[in-house]
Amino acid sequence: MGLFDAIDVAGSGLAAERLRMDVTAGNLANAQTTKGANGQPYRRREVVLQEAQPGGFGAALASAGAAQAAGGVQVSGIVEDTAPPRLVYDPGNPDANAQGYVAMPNVNPVTEMVDLISASRSYEADVTAMQSAKTLFSKTLELLK
Amino acid sequence: MEEPRRRARNEPDSMTLFDSTQLSLEAAMRGATLRQTLLTDNLANVNTPGYQRKDVDFHAALRAAEASGSSPETLSFQPTTASDRAVRADGSGVDPDQESAALAENSLDYEALVQVAETRNAILQTAMGVR
Repeated sequence: MGLFDAIDVAGSGLAAERLRMDVTAGNLANAQTTKGANGQPYRRREVVLQEAQPGGFGAALASAGAAQAAGGVQVSGIVEDTAPPRLVYDPGNPDANAQGYVAMPNVNPVTEMVDLISASRSYEADVTAMQSAKTLFSKTLELLK
Repeated sequence: MEEPRRRARNEPDSMTLFDSTQLSLEAAMRGATLRQTLLTDNLANVNTPGYQRKDVDFHAALRAAEASGSSPETLSFQPTTASDRAVRADGSGVDPDQESAALAENSLDYEALVQVAETRNAILQTAMGVR
């Protein structure tokens, strides 16, 4: 146990929020992709987060006596949105079906922007928490002077 | 022959280097460190569906230990997890504003403890003629 735990935990938050930003950016970039790798229109992806259990040497020490420490956050997976694709009437499009409709990705740019802001703000909160832990640690080191 | 004088750990005595004030100070710093980690964990899990916030009331634990006369040296703090607290539609029980405020409060708490420890060191060093 120590202040390094707080820094590790904040680091896990930074990694998770950054992945959310990456996936959101991927959704926005593919908002018009009518043919993905599987030949189907692109489907919106979403990051699923879950609480991480503390692992490794620190956790073994903690379970040996001291209180259970915090483990931070981890990504349990990236799932595809099951919402149906948006149908747009565009008979000239090479991907149009017999009725002239094109299946567009189920990406809503507004939703993506909101997700992006949420991830960005959470990232900032984690950075602040990490800076706070760092400041406290250097204050403690000053005791040795 | 005179019997060697035995002294209890929590007996106030200015001659002991590790008196009860120093031990309480150390325990409080341990508690504040744990709280810092838990509050950071809450912030890291702000977007985790169903997450329940964790906290530790180390002030209360320390007060209880001092009231019962047990040594703060062996005191271990138990984090508590909130139950059924949801502040968001996805079931996350973390309010980032509250957590940030608690984090700022805990940082100041910790800095105050370090300041006291520093002052106590300075007093001892002055007494020893180091400064």
